Amino acid sequence: MNMLHIARREIKLGFRNPWAYSFLALFTLFTLVLLLIHSSSSISGYTSTTGSMLSLILYLLPLMTLLIGSFSLTAEKEEGSWQLLSTYPLRTWSFILGKYAGLAIVLMTVAAFAYGVSGVAGALAGGGFQLRTLLLFLVFSVLLILLFLAVALLIGTAARNRWQALTYGVAFWFFTVIGWPALLIAGLGFVPYLWIKPALIFLTFLNPAELVRLFVVVKLGGGSILGPDYYKWVDVMSEPLGAILFAAVCLLWIVAASGVSAWAWERGRSRG
Amino acid sequence: MDEPVLRIEGAGKTIKGQTILRPVSLSLQRGDVYALCGGNGAGKSTLLRMVMGILQPTAGRIEVNGLSWKDNRRSYAEQMGYMPDDYSFARGLTAWETLSFWASLRGLSRGRTAEVLEEVGLTGVRNKQVASFSKGMRQRLLFAQALLSRPSLLVLDEPTNGLDPYWMDAFVELVKRAAEDGHAVIYSTHQLPVAEASANYVLFLQEGSAVKQGAVSSFLEEYGPGGLHAAFSDTRRG
Repeated sequence: MNMLHIARREIKLGFRNPWAYSFLALFTLFTLVLLLIHSSSSISGYTSTTGSMLSLILYLLPLMTLLIGSFSLTAEKEEGSWQLLSTYPLRTWSFILGKYAGLAIVLMTVAAFAYGVSGVAGALAGGGFQLRTLLLFLVFSVLLILLFLAVALLIGTAARNRWQALTYGVAFWFFTVIGWPALLIAGLGFVPYLWIKPALIFLTFLNPAELVRLFVVVKLGGGSILGPDYYKWVDVMSEPLGAILFAAVCLLWIVAASGVSAWAWERGRSRG
Repeated sequence: MDEPVLRIEGAGKTIKGQTILRPVSLSLQRGDVYALCGGNGAGKSTLLRMVMGILQPTAGRIEVNGLSWKDNRRSYAEQMGYMPDDYSFARGLTAWETLSFWASLRGLSRGRTAEVLEEVGLTGVRNKQVASFSKGMRQRLLFAQALLSRPSLLVLDEPTNGLDPYWMDAFVELVKRAAEDGHAVIYSTHQLPVAEASANYVLFLQEGSAVKQGAVSSFLEEYGPGGLHAAFSDTRRG
């Protein structure tokens, strides 16, 4: 029950936070701009437009989620809120899960609003994204939010203040979104040739951004652009079992990250 | 004599070999008001945080209504209301929303929230953003939060910090009323006149040690009017 109270407060604070509105304006503007650029025809499946949309979402959403999520937790420490809450008959996991649920709802609402505006604008202009494509974008965004919010909990747990959270958040975003291909090339160069494919698949599971991107690209029918190293991945993800496997890995990510966060907060609380 | 609301027996705190607070003992009955006085770094907040379970004592034992934090954290937490020293209110919430949130965590009704806001004189500004409140109003709201569940023990960390004389008088009245209502109150303060006006027991702390403690009346008897100040000066000299 207390988890719901924490989540409700988080939603209220989220929707009254100027950050959320800046994020909403930015995200809506970008979806509209992309729509206008490619407004000549109806867009479905994997095209250069959907590819740019995926990249845009991948650049913006994880970073905003990491910052908003981790700042929310570090604020609890910096403002003395957690110290007061820890004197209440409140379970630590209720606190962490409440924060997670509240923040997820705020961020998912922002994403849904931006796609909604883009969808309506496209429909009025007589072109734009097809409903299935738009829904896949929404799923892609929701998955990114859920996974990166779980990581944000870890960052907010490890960081002492907002500055530290900013540094850790940007570093995580940089290595998982921008620097990932370079890291793979550098790292896999040391691996025996026969191990490269399995290592690539294994490492994909460790990067939430890459995990979700590859899944959605396959679902949009663009698996062929991933190259021969991912053929096996494309085959598996195209099957219904692939979606279940993917969901299980996402769930594992979320449970593990929020579990470790709750454990660390509880440890600090009980050791005093 | 009744079971004390708060019993502290030789509770002390050492962190990484450094003594933060040497063993302290005291006990409070219902209606008692205990003031912890001393300069910065004397150990007042450490003692109060140990009472609340935020810090764990490395020596001794602390019990509230016979319960210890380690044995039953939830029941222990239900015995107390805490007003922290260092607290920044979340931006964007009104006084009513802020207090309602805390009340909901304790399973209390909206009626109780309204009642406590009335007690601390904030009913007229309940729909205003806490961010627009003065320091005195924020302290009142924090005090209201501590009163919400009608706890046996009120633990107030520097409740008069940064308050003007008007709010200090108001604080003295609030504490006296809480004691009359049967709460036991323990608080820390730098303001000796506030302690003299509202407390019936006082503990002087200096550099992590309890240097003097007893009934306020006995200090006044020994040192005359303004006796707490004289007693405090005495501890610093001695």
